[in-house]
Amino acid sequence: MSTPDRWDAAPCGLLVLDPDGTVAAANDQLTTWTGLAGDAVGRTRFGDLLSVGGRIYWETHLAPRLQLEGRLDEVTVELRGPQGRVPVLLTAVTDPGGPVRIALHGAAERMRFERELRSARQAAQQWADRVAVLQTVTAGLSRVSTADGVAQVLLAAATGPLGATSAAVWTATADGLRLHSVRGDHPTLPTPDVVGTGEGAVSAADGTVQVPLPGAEDLRGVLTLAHLAAPTPELDLPVLTAVAQQAGIALDRARLHEQSAGVARVLQRSMLTAPVQPDHLELATRYLPAAEDAVVGGDWYDAFLCQDGTTWLVVGDVAGHDIGAAAVMGQIRNLLRGIAYTQQQSPARVLTAVDQAMAGLGVPSLATVVALRVEQTPDDRAAGVRRVRWSNAGHPAPVHIPRHGTPASLTTPPELLLGAFPDVERTDHELDLHPGDTMLLYTDGLTERRHSDLDTGTRWLLDTLGRHSAERLEDLCDHLLRTVADHLDDDVALLALRAHTEDAPRPAEAGPVRLPEDHPAT
Amino acid sequence: MSARGPATGVPMVFAHGFGCDQGMWRHVAPAFETTHRVVTFDHVGAGGSDAAAYDRQKYATLQGYADDVVEIIEALGVPPVVFVGHSVSAMIGVLASVARPDLFRHLVLVAPNPRFLDDEGYRGGFTDAEVDELLETMEGNYLGWSATIAPVIMGAPDRPELGEELTSSFCRADPAIARDFAQVTFRSDNRADLPRVTVPALVVQCSSDALAPLEVGTYVHEHLSGSELVVLAATGHCPNLSAPAELVAAVHDHLDRA
Repeated sequence: MSTPDRWDAAPCGLLVLDPDGTVAAANDQLTTWTGLAGDAVGRTRFGDLLSVGGRIYWETHLAPRLQLEGRLDEVTVELRGPQGRVPVLLTAVTDPGGPVRIALHGAAERMRFERELRSARQAAQQWADRVAVLQTVTAGLSRVSTADGVAQVLLAAATGPLGATSAAVWTATADGLRLHSVRGDHPTLPTPDVVGTGEGAVSAADGTVQVPLPGAEDLRGVLTLAHLAAPTPELDLPVLTAVAQQAGIALDRARLHEQSAGVARVLQRSMLTAPVQPDHLELATRYLPAAEDAVVGGDWYDAFLCQDGTTWLVVGDVAGHDIGAAAVMGQIRNLLRGIAYTQQQSPARVLTAVDQAMAGLGVPSLATVVALRVEQTPDDRAAGVRRVRWSNAGHPAPVHIPRHGTPASLTTPPELLLGAFPDVERTDHELDLHPGDTMLLYTDGLTERRHSDLDTGTRWLLDTLGRHSAERLEDLCDHLLRTVADHLDDDVALLALRAHTEDAPRPAEAGPVRLPEDHPAT
Repeated sequence: MSARGPATGVPMVFAHGFGCDQGMWRHVAPAFETTHRVVTFDHVGAGGSDAAAYDRQKYATLQGYADDVVEIIEALGVPPVVFVGHSVSAMIGVLASVARPDLFRHLVLVAPNPRFLDDEGYRGGFTDAEVDELLETMEGNYLGWSATIAPVIMGAPDRPELGEELTSSFCRADPAIARDFAQVTFRSDNRADLPRVTVPALVVQCSSDALAPLEVGTYVHEHLSGSELVVLAATGHCPNLSAPAELVAAVHDHLDRA
């Protein structure tokens, strides 16, 4: 077979280009594919044989690479010809300044196969993206227990992987849908059309998308999305519907949780009554719930007058953060009140009696508590002083703030928690209380912070009290809570006492005396 | 980005077009290194650039790329530059010089096309469907590239002058970014920006260029006041590779006369 025969009989398209890209020679297969007439050889550029897309690609990508690297392998392009387009695989070699030699293999079957592979890959990628979004949302929803939390997870997903520039969460109330929260720059997301919020995500004519959030029994809310970011593909409605189902269930759960937390709050608050204001003693109380609203602590404060006229201050904390803890707190508070009122014993003895009552009555919990009694003998009275006597069952030490002096934490050897055993030896401690002195009882939420230890918290407390001890008692309490309010991990209960001199009328700033009407001391 | 040549020389910034990277200038830029401070760089997403710096919103228009050019020149802290832009980078240079004429001494626009799509009374050379076709062709090839790019690079044993570092990055682009870049390159219309240019310009046109027909080069020249048009004997869209000597001579000639 002669050389021209070999060239023309080759089962692939063969071409030689001049260095400037003009076709110098083409074999039979190539002219069959492209319809290139013999007299067009020498006038036609290689790019002219390609589809327009292929031509741009040749000029911008392939020819430069060939020039620089001397070789191209297995590049996909399409020839234009009388029978339509012919997909080919292109291989080319050249030397600097020399001709370009090109071989083209028909690749129609291969292209079909690759197109199928590509669409399969795109479909797989789409599913992977969907699963990733669902996973993120599900993980986020499992960590939140409030409607706020659910809304934040939804908004983050909507304006993140779901591709909306703005999104809003509406929650169902007795009066219809209420806007709960918005994220993004869209000023007015339209109110969802409740009638249409039945079955899955719906695209509205204005380009917004409404996604009903179905609970087990009724609609819990609606997620609206708007202004999809320009290059993002269209919203994936099936994924939105799946996200919405998860969110609806999470909203159901949040509602139950909030209802139970609400009951616990009411129960807890019913125990936190206004303190007595006996004679020349001024009392201030505060209760600050932790940031996560659905969590109810078992913290409490209490201040009451005993039958014998002594004033009692109690601050305690029951283990647990649920309605059970709130109920147990109520029981312990009332036991302690009752026993103190009738027994007229020292705080240590009263706490031991509470230990015994808790064991005997089967109150199934542990609590930390400080019980403090303000006493005054006739001699004390003549000397113008009072005495505080207290017992501490595993609770943060009270703080004594002398009128002129440095605040001190009244640290004592640790004793067991209340309710641990029925026969615990408990100890009384005492301290003289002079006019102008202040006592502070508190629960550990005030001084315990994530990322810092208790010592740091206590140092902060003593330092703050030292700098603000001259303030009115109410102001001092406000100051403490303002400082901690932003980073509260736990509830805080505060009870502060200031002793005013008995040689003068109760100061106006201390407010009026307040005692139970039928108390023997009144 | 790389800079060579005397620090005191008039700076020349070379910007590559759609499809490749700064390697496009390897036969052109060195010709100016004895007299000029020569700077070449890769657009984001191309060559050795950091693809993490890509911001879809910013690069949705050529202005995003032009802002990068301004930033590069400002960062150099040099006197006004000669900007040499190939293909789409010619228009990127136009936009950058309109924003900050103080940074530019000359524009050299190699194979510019201010609008690739045909329009009423204007022939850019392409239709919308043809641009879609390009995207399809690119997509079809990325499938192959992922597996074969390495052998392709190693298959140039007879070109030892191509350092391995250069070949391993040459013409490599992030497929998603390259797709966006193709869209913005072929679907932009920057004809209205031409009359706003106040910097002297040289328009370099090839005699037969499928991407920038002669009439487009003439259009650019006519809408850039005080510009000079040079038509090279070279054919194709990349005279920087196919006819570097002719391109270098044209640029030298223009700069000498300016």
